[in-house]
Amino acid sequence: MNEKPITILYIDDEEHNLHSFKASFRKQYDITITASVVEAEEILEKKDFCIILADQRMPVMSGVQFFEKIRLKFPKPIRILITGHTDIGAAIDAINKGEVFRFIDKPWDYKYVETAISNAYEIYKTREDLKQRNSELQKANEELDKFVYSASHDLRAPLMSVLGIVNLALLEEDVQSQNEYLELIRQSVKKLDTFIINIIDYYKNARGVPVVTDISFDELVTEVQATIQYLPEYGNLKMTTDIDQSGNFQSDVMKLRIIFNNLINNAIKFQDKSKPDPYVHLTVRSTPTEARITVADNGLGIKESDQDKIFRMFYRAGATNSGSGIGLYIVHEAISKLEGQISVSSKIGEGSVFEINIPSIRK
Amino acid sequence: MKPLLHFCLIDDSAFDLFIYEKLLIKSGITDTVKTFNSAREALKHLLTEGSVLPETIILLDLQMPDMNGFEFVDEYANLPGFLREKVKIFMLSSTIDTRDIEKAKASPHIIDLLPKPLEVSYLKNRLSL
Repeated sequence: MNEKPITILYIDDEEHNLHSFKASFRKQYDITITASVVEAEEILEKKDFCIILADQRMPVMSGVQFFEKIRLKFPKPIRILITGHTDIGAAIDAINKGEVFRFIDKPWDYKYVETAISNAYEIYKTREDLKQRNSELQKANEELDKFVYSASHDLRAPLMSVLGIVNLALLEEDVQSQNEYLELIRQSVKKLDTFIINIIDYYKNARGVPVVTDISFDELVTEVQATIQYLPEYGNLKMTTDIDQSGNFQSDVMKLRIIFNNLINNAIKFQDKSKPDPYVHLTVRSTPTEARITVADNGLGIKESDQDKIFRMFYRAGATNSGSGIGLYIVHEAISKLEGQISVSSKIGEGSVFEINIPSIRK
Repeated sequence: MKPLLHFCLIDDSAFDLFIYEKLLIKSGITDTVKTFNSAREALKHLLTEGSVLPETIILLDLQMPDMNGFEFVDEYANLPGFLREKVKIFMLSSTIDTRDIEKAKASPHIIDLLPKPLEVSYLKNRLSL
C-alpha cells in the first residue's frame, strides 16, 4: 500500500489518554495530539487531517462545542467524539445535529477504535473522491462548452460568408466578376472543409484506438508532401527535408501524420511573402528509442506573448490569415498521447522552430 | 440631400471585409468604407482621427483573435465622449449563441446585433434611412 497514511488529530485534556492512543496507533496512522483546543485550531490551520477525535469532557470547551466551532472552517475532516457513559445524552444530541460522525465510549477498546477510524476514513475518502470527480466533470463540461461555442462559430462563419457572396453576386450584372465570386466561394468552402477534417482528426486522436506500426519517416514525409504541394497557398515556399533513420521506430502513424501535416501546413500558411526565399526545413533523427523532429521556417514568426498559448484549444494568434485555432491544439494532443514533448522558439519577422521528441512505442 | 454615411468594418475574415465593403457600396448607402482586420487597429484609427473623425457607423465582428468584438466595445466605452458621439456600433456576427446575443443586447454601446450575412435593407431601417 503506497497511499498516504491517514492523518488524525486527537484532542484530550488528559495527557495520559493522548499518549496511550498514540502508542497504540502510531504505526498505522499519522497522529498529531494536543491537550488544548486553542492549539488544536492552530494545528488545523497548518495541516490537513482526515479525522479529528476529541474528548467530550474538557475544560474551556467541550468536544461538541469544539466541533461546532471548527466545523464551518474545516469541513473536510470526519469528526469522532470520545466520551464517558455519563455524557451519552450530549453525544446523541451531537450525532443528531450532524456535529459528529461517531462516538467512542471510554474506556475505548483497540478494535472498536480501529473500526471507527476505518469507517470514518471511508467516508472521508468517498467525499474527497466525489469532489475530485466533480471538479473533473466540471472541467470537462467547460471544455465541451467552449468546444461547441467555437466549433459552431467555425462551422457557421464560412457558410455565412458564402451566403454573403451569393447575395452580392445576385446584385452583380457584370458576368465577368461572377467568376471572382465563385473563387471566393471555393476558398470559403475549402476553409470549412479543412475545419471539418481537423475536427475529425481531433476526435480520432482523442477517442480512437492507436494502431502501432513500424514507421518509415521517408515514406511518411513523402506522403505528406504529396498532399500539400499543389495547394494554391504553397507559393514560392521551398521545402527541404533531412531524414536520418536508423533501426525500427514504432508509433501510431495516424498521429504522426496529423503532427507533420499541421506543422507543415502552418509553415505554408504563415510564410513571409516579403522574403525572397521562404522555406520550411524538416529534420528527422530517428533511433529505435526515440525520434527528434524539427520543423524550422523563416515565416512571419510568433509573438513572444503568444508562444505559450498557441497550443490551447481555439487560441488564434495574429489577426491575419489565422485559422480556427485548432491545428496546434491537435498537434499538442497527439504528441501528449504519444508521450512526447513539443517546444517552440520564434521571433517575429525571423521565423519559427518547432522541436518535437517522441519515444518509440514498444509493442 | 443628406451626406452619405461613413462606414468602418472590423472583421478578421478577409472574405467578409471584401464582401461587406462591396455590398455597402453597391447598395448606395455609402461611398466610404474603411476596413480593419484587427479590432486593435480600428481602435488606434479612432484615436488618431480624433476630432476630425467623421460620423461613422461601425460594423463589428464578434469572434476575432487578439481583441474580440466585446473587448473592442469595452475599450470604446473608455474613449472620450466627443469620439463616442460620432460613432454608432452595430455588431455583425454569425453567432447563434444566446449568451452572445443577450450580451450584445444588454450593452448600451451596441445599437443592434445584425446577423451575417448582412441585410442592407434591415440596416437602413435601423438607421431610419
